[in-house]
Amino acid sequence: MYGADVEQIAIQLNEDPQKLADFEARIARGEKIEPGDWMPAEYRRQLIRMISQHAHSEVVGMLPEGAWITKAPSLRRKLILLAKVQDEAGHGQYLYHAAETLGATREEMLDALLDGKAKYSSIFNYHTTTWADNGAIGWLVDGAAILNQTMLARCSYGPYSRAMVRICMEENFHRKQGQEMIILYSQGTPAQRAMVQDAITRWWWPTLMMFGPHDADSPNSGVLIRWGIKTRTNDELRQEFINQLVPDLQACGIVLPDPDLHYDEASKNWRTGPIDWDEFWAVLKGNGPANAERMAARRQAHADGQWVREAAAAYAAKSQIQ
Amino acid sequence: MTDTQWPRYMVFQQEGPDQPVVHNGTVHAPDAELAMLNARDVFVRRPEAVALWVVPADAIFTQTQEELAKNELAGEASGYRVEYYVFGKFAQQAQCRQIGQVAASSPQTAVQAAIAAFPDQQPLWWWVLPISAVRKSESTQAESMFLAARYKTFKDQAEYPVVSMMRQLRDKGKLG
Repeated sequence: MYGADVEQIAIQLNEDPQKLADFEARIARGEKIEPGDWMPAEYRRQLIRMISQHAHSEVVGMLPEGAWITKAPSLRRKLILLAKVQDEAGHGQYLYHAAETLGATREEMLDALLDGKAKYSSIFNYHTTTWADNGAIGWLVDGAAILNQTMLARCSYGPYSRAMVRICMEENFHRKQGQEMIILYSQGTPAQRAMVQDAITRWWWPTLMMFGPHDADSPNSGVLIRWGIKTRTNDELRQEFINQLVPDLQACGIVLPDPDLHYDEASKNWRTGPIDWDEFWAVLKGNGPANAERMAARRQAHADGQWVREAAAAYAAKSQIQ
Repeated sequence: MTDTQWPRYMVFQQEGPDQPVVHNGTVHAPDAELAMLNARDVFVRRPEAVALWVVPADAIFTQTQEELAKNELAGEASGYRVEYYVFGKFAQQAQCRQIGQVAASSPQTAVQAAIAAFPDQQPLWWWVLPISAVRKSESTQAESMFLAARYKTFKDQAEYPVVSMMRQLRDKGKLG
């Protein structure tokens, strides 16, 4: 459908063909679409879906690492982890604000998350079982997120693109502190080396799944690419990630959990074995190792904050009377 | 859609004493005081601010070039004149930044006054907001609000020399 010409698409989406043509011409010129501008209802819907999912991922993403703040092995590592988790909270805020410019309210987005209706990145439904998982999350998970976010920083919707520029800058700190940790431990004591190997073994495949289904199975990709929300496909981004990470992890002496992994001279790409998509869909549908725990923690945090919201509202009301 | 949310405040930030004030984003808060605290937590986790402003989002009047071209110019009504801050957005990717200030009797006439006062400025859109609607961070509190972030250098990606660490690992591998 989305390879079709603009008139066919206007009919299918029930949009004014001239407005749609002008809109697509703006995107083709590299202009940003801003909140007050005309946009197809489907563009708005797709952006709200993506941005709110992205915001939820930042918020839920605080949980796996947050669990380790009190158990960090040094003051330096504790400060780094605190700052990182605080950044994720901030990123969630930037993104909720960007979604609000499209008419979504904070309340309905939060309700969708707490009711279990909204999706968030499947990666956060895995447990962090050792300290080295924090390094693996930084280098692998945040590294994968940065590739996606660097693309989104160029997206056609102004507020989303500006939020992404800011987020990418901060995520680079997240990635590099993780990479530093993994490099150091991979050259450390036998126990440290074993801990790092175990962490990468567990996080490798779930990280590759983060880029989403293969292009052929990705129902939204066509329209997202046509309207400049995404400029690269899931498989392109995943391949770039694999090509970046495999040589670096191998240089650290880490063995990747994939007997089929090999370098393809002809295409200059590292090729992995097949991804277990059954696992991906199971986690996405709520049956991952930590889905229930994550949602319970979010609901608890929201309930625990209720008195703060009430107190702040009461204080504001009282100040207005005085 | 029922709106039970807290009001939205626009957040403006000044990164250095000689820098213009720029729009950064929004926060929700029950009042300006908490909006200021939220803005500090959300937008000043890194050492990039000497001042923060919060302004109720509905106090800002926007006029795009397109709208200006369509609209007839409103004449300056005789009435009580107040001071407005004038902001402009100059590029698709840029944040709205402060241009100056004008006195006018309405937001619409403030835009006209701004166009007359700043003839060399051609923003994609103008923002005007009454100075009285702005809450600014207190200069006496600048140290406690903004200084702490300056010493948290571990938030800077340059603190992690991973590229040279990887190079050393590879060199070691070649020798071994």
